[in-house]
Amino acid sequence: MRNISSVLGRLAKTMSVGLMLLFAVTMAHAQDVKEGETLFKSKCTTCHGVTKKVVGPALAGMSERHSEEWLVKWIHNSQAMVAAGDPAAVQIFEEYNKMVMTSFTDLSEDQIKSIIAYVKAEETKAAEAPAGGGAEGGAGAKSGDASTMMIVGLIAIVVLAVVVIVVLNRVIRTLEKVIANNQAAIAEAQARNEQFEESKFAKFAKAFVKNKKLVGFAVLMLVAFLAVLGWNTMWNVGVHQGYQPVQPIKFSHQIHAGVNQIECQYCHGGAFKSKNASIPSANVCMNCHNTVTASDHYDGEISPEIAKIYRAVDYNPETREYGDNPKPIEWVRIHNLPDFAYFNHSQHVVVAGVECQTCHGPVETMEEVYQYSPLTMKWCVDCHRTTAVNADNAYYDQLIEAHEKLKKGEKMTAAMIGGLECGKCHY
Amino acid sequence: MDSNKKYWKGLEELQQTPAFVESSKGEFAEPIPVEDVLNEAGLSTKTPRRDFLKALGFGLGAVTLAACNRTPVHKAVPYVIKPEEVTPGIPNFYASSFNGQSVLVRTREGRPISISPNPNAVGVTQGTDATTVASVLDLYDMSKLQNPQLGGKDVEWSKLDATVIDALTKAASAGKQIAIVSSTVNSPSTLAAIAKLTAKYPTTTHVQVDAVSYSGIIEANRASFGKAVVPSYHFNNANVVVSVAADFLGTWLAGEEHTQDYIKNRDYKSLKNGKMSRHIQFESGLSMTGSNADVRIAIKPSEEGAVLISLYNAITGQSLPGGVSNKKAQTAITLAAKELTNNRGGAVVVAGSNDVNVQLLVNAINSALGAYGAIIDLDNFSKQYQGSDAAFQQFLADAAAGQVGVAFFLNSNPVYDYFKPADVTNALSKVAFTLSFADRPDETASTLKAIAPASTFLESWGDASSKEGYFTIVQPTINPVFNTRQAEQSLLIWSGDNTNIYEFVKQNWETNILAGTGKTWKDVLQTGFVYKGSATGSSYSANVDVNAVASAIATAARAIAGEVELKLYESTVMRDGRYANNAYLQELPDPITKVTWDNYAAINPKFAEELGIGEKGRIKVEANGYAVELPVVLQPGQALGTVSIAVGYGRTKVGKAGNNVGQNAYPFARLVNGTIQFASKASVSKAGGSYELAQTQTHHTIEGRNIIRETTFAKYLKDPNSESGRFSDSHKTYDLWNKFESPGHKWVMAIDLNACTGCGSCIVACNVENNIPVVGRDEVRRRREMHWLRIDRYYTLDAGDTKLTKEKEIAKATDLDYEDVTVVHQPMLCQHCDHAPCETVCPVLATVHSSEGLNHMAYNRCFGTRYCANNCPYKVRRFNWFNYWNDSRFDNYLNNEFTQLVLNPDVTTRSRGVMEKCSMCIQRIQGGKLKAKMENRKLRDGDVKVACQEACSANAIIFGDINDPESEVSKALRNERVYYVLEEINVQPNIGYMTKVRNTFEA
Repeated sequence: MRNISSVLGRLAKTMSVGLMLLFAVTMAHAQDVKEGETLFKSKCTTCHGVTKKVVGPALAGMSERHSEEWLVKWIHNSQAMVAAGDPAAVQIFEEYNKMVMTSFTDLSEDQIKSIIAYVKAEETKAAEAPAGGGAEGGAGAKSGDASTMMIVGLIAIVVLAVVVIVVLNRVIRTLEKVIANNQAAIAEAQARNEQFEESKFAKFAKAFVKNKKLVGFAVLMLVAFLAVLGWNTMWNVGVHQGYQPVQPIKFSHQIHAGVNQIECQYCHGGAFKSKNASIPSANVCMNCHNTVTASDHYDGEISPEIAKIYRAVDYNPETREYGDNPKPIEWVRIHNLPDFAYFNHSQHVVVAGVECQTCHGPVETMEEVYQYSPLTMKWCVDCHRTTAVNADNAYYDQLIEAHEKLKKGEKMTAAMIGGLECGKCHY
Repeated sequence: MDSNKKYWKGLEELQQTPAFVESSKGEFAEPIPVEDVLNEAGLSTKTPRRDFLKALGFGLGAVTLAACNRTPVHKAVPYVIKPEEVTPGIPNFYASSFNGQSVLVRTREGRPISISPNPNAVGVTQGTDATTVASVLDLYDMSKLQNPQLGGKDVEWSKLDATVIDALTKAASAGKQIAIVSSTVNSPSTLAAIAKLTAKYPTTTHVQVDAVSYSGIIEANRASFGKAVVPSYHFNNANVVVSVAADFLGTWLAGEEHTQDYIKNRDYKSLKNGKMSRHIQFESGLSMTGSNADVRIAIKPSEEGAVLISLYNAITGQSLPGGVSNKKAQTAITLAAKELTNNRGGAVVVAGSNDVNVQLLVNAINSALGAYGAIIDLDNFSKQYQGSDAAFQQFLADAAAGQVGVAFFLNSNPVYDYFKPADVTNALSKVAFTLSFADRPDETASTLKAIAPASTFLESWGDASSKEGYFTIVQPTINPVFNTRQAEQSLLIWSGDNTNIYEFVKQNWETNILAGTGKTWKDVLQTGFVYKGSATGSSYSANVDVNAVASAIATAARAIAGEVELKLYESTVMRDGRYANNAYLQELPDPITKVTWDNYAAINPKFAEELGIGEKGRIKVEANGYAVELPVVLQPGQALGTVSIAVGYGRTKVGKAGNNVGQNAYPFARLVNGTIQFASKASVSKAGGSYELAQTQTHHTIEGRNIIRETTFAKYLKDPNSESGRFSDSHKTYDLWNKFESPGHKWVMAIDLNACTGCGSCIVACNVENNIPVVGRDEVRRRREMHWLRIDRYYTLDAGDTKLTKEKEIAKATDLDYEDVTVVHQPMLCQHCDHAPCETVCPVLATVHSSEGLNHMAYNRCFGTRYCANNCPYKVRRFNWFNYWNDSRFDNYLNNEFTQLVLNPDVTTRSRGVMEKCSMCIQRIQGGKLKAKMENRKLRDGDVKVACQEACSANAIIFGDINDPESEVSKALRNERVYYVLEEINVQPNIGYMTKVRNTFEA
């Protein structure tokens, strides 16, 4: 349902954008606007929105506020203007807490004009949107259409169900009449059928039952099958490989670790210091997400998922202020070790140099994270049996020396230095 | 060698009573009904087949159904804004102090989980005693008040403040006294806060009174030296120590500091240098200090003064009247006096009495011995006890006369601990407004108009100065858990000062303490203390009118001399009763009697025989118009005709764990010449009924095997190997098992029996570190205490001239007076045997050996056959009969989510049906190793400290890696005194003990 509605929503949106573009063409050169859009998205969106204040001011209406010439100068080098004492420049600089806008000396005058044209087009579109008759089914109704669709769909289903019931009742009644009329004929046909069946299937069944070896074999197979099934089921009690719960925020490791190449350590620093890898606190998210709002994907709105972070830290993106009513995000824990097993991330990540992916799988490709490894004791032990100890660590010098005396040439695995002993993990 | 001494843990073992013999046969107190079930009659009658099948069917069905629920979804809730200093999974340490002891508080994710001594507190050695280590539990005590109260009802702080300020203003304008009654306050910032209140309301007076008073010493020093202080004692400078009823290693003044100093002359390092002090103790009840003495003489409380008079005469050659007539004591005094005079400048006499005259005589003796300066330091005096009995008397008189308008009680509970509680309540009824800062509605607070609950020291800013020139910081490690406010902040607000307490403490330090030290506030927060005192004290000589003093002593002695004399004492475990709701302390066995969860009347076995009382008997003790009925403990070493009762018990309003445990003994005290005294004449009679004390003394007994090795200092000097009797020296051993290789580390321990005083702080530290549950009185009676580490206390009879040491002689001796016993304390814990008998009998390999020489215990593998406990020769394995930490039947303290926050997150909580035992703090070993690996270096000696070792002020427990020849433990184990307990059964234990050396006279 949700999918259909979102598809419809997108469709409507595309249509409306098309309409707007058409409308915009009359206002400016199409080429300019298109180029302007590309430039705007690559250079400006980090700090500016068209109708929304982000880090810098909302750009809508800037053509009215300033001359085109002024704007070009400002975008090329705002600080120079401030230094020169341009009153408008100084005023903006003061208003935005003396935040320095990046200078775009690489942009040509035409390119800047394209951007201005694009912004103008966008602002007109935004102004038209609420009133625009053509775009009515589009962005404006976006939030409403899901529920409407739902209600309409439900009504349709109910109506359909009633129709089906009525029709079926009719059919049953007709059939009953037919049966009543043809009782005798049916009995005859049945008798004929039975004779036919007897001659074929029953014969086979009788022969099967009489052959005790075959029966014995079949029973044995069944028992064996059940035993294997039972055995496997029992062994998998408590193993949750592939566990992929729904998380409170649709966080994508694929975008963060895959596309954006953020180091694991940036968020999961605990893995390098402590036994807990630790889920990052919301303030770590805010390091980037106080500017990254993904609004270009959500029609100028802040991404609803990122908004959840804002709610957690009680951050108001309009005023850029933090409130004092934060609410922690309750993630669902995916990797659950039982309480009696002690596992330390730093031992594995820092000392042994194990890659995160060895245990957690290709996280950088996971849209939603799932439990990649079985996390059984067998799985731990197998790795300890085969993994060589990191010989570069000075701590192991003495052990390696002792080991050399005993087993020349072989690698020293974790198991050989007590990595399989109960008390290493259970205390 | 086979020691010719007979050691025994309790009289029942010595006399081999039938009940003892019977009970020592089984591993567990109650037999398991195996026979009943297995014989045929049992099967057909007790558990018929059909019932069995029904139960089986139901059980199977129930288990299947129970297993049907889905795997629970676990939430992982990170911080919203992570504090910079917190990394989940890594502890933070904060320097703080408790009762003036500089400590480190370990917190995990913002909650304090343990307290250890501050290792950097050099120069001022102060360890942690059991109460300090256990105090972390008090933070999570559910019996505490959660809001301030007015007239027994919860109110807002603002309402309380308004009421208090109103009362203060009224009292001040009426010219009435505003009294702050407290136990000793040595905190500079608390005193500053009180001064603020005094400035605002000039009629304010501050009365300090301690439940266990040291007024006698203060007054004596005022008279002798013009310094009204309690001096500090440096026992490390004393070669000879004579103590007359002063439990200076335990409860007398600064027990931990004394222990550290005292042991410096007696531990293996000192013995290696051929040096050992001599300690002579005169006392009536067997105290922990007495149990460590080289020579101990049992005397009656009325003889304490006489002993000192004789001693004074013997030292100075004078002949004051009123010397002791007791033969044994006379001999000992002659010998002791010789020792003392031979060691002038290196000898000291201390007395536990609170009688000014007794202390004056002690001053005269010490002055004659030249003890002032190096040993007794009057310049860097102790500030731990400044209470004045006279001041409190004055307060009561003023209050009764209606001159007091407002009374505040700070850490003071006189309705419980004053000897005449009725006087206190009567006096307080005349006071217009009364308030207590108690954290719970205790005996006093519940009778008052208001309670302004103070936060615990783990939630407060503050400081302490337990000694002149020594300042320790108290810094909070957690926000106040309940709606409490520290007393200092309340005092500031009431005096109209809205300074935040943090700013207040900081300013006070910066202006008054740190000036001139070159240290900043931040330095102090890091190190935890500042020491500005001088290195040693200067010499003083006392000017005492000994004749007057002697006659006063004689008069006082006559007043208490009688057929039966009663002596009250502070127990090492419960102290003055302040921490009675701490379940760890309630279950910590008394160092001598090994009684938990009760106080009792200790009497000599012979005296008991005369009274017709046996084990489990009860007596009625009457004195000074007060009487209690108490169970008796037949205490060897107790002077004949004396009864000892511990104060600190019998509290009624302290909380779930501590309410109605034992009887209150404070009302037995007397006020003599303006000081509270704990000895008096008494009468005793047999009381009806019987009572079984929860006593651990003969639990887990080692069947009288030869496990204690003891020698004398003289023998040791001739042959350091003396009496250590190493089995391997004289026997060839054969192994059934292969030798265990430990190529990396091999963790071992050395325990110095000469350093262990038996105080028990290691036991509490072990409990806290390893989440060991408290099981309660009934379970202790069933021999089910869970302590991984116990301290076995062994007695030997030592009858003066005729040495009664051999078993046969004891059997022949008919008329034993049991006054002369010597004591050895032996900490006993899992020995981590290389050829561990427990490992071979485990059917599921739940307990196995590691390549580091440890005996691992995998709880999740154990299914509770208990074969291992049966097969352990040291009896150190403990079985979880219940889910103690999560079962409402054992609701001592831990059965709520809040108190469970005290659990160490690195150690599993064990469930029912699982065996457990000492793991040598494997979580700390693994932590230490990991730290070394992370820093890319070898493990250094001292990187890993086990909990018991850390808590031991006497350094009796040394832990480390024997594969490192330079480690402290390797050096200690190369000592000649080392022997291994039960070495002859070739289990190859990894804990070496060092023989007990006694510096006796005879040698």
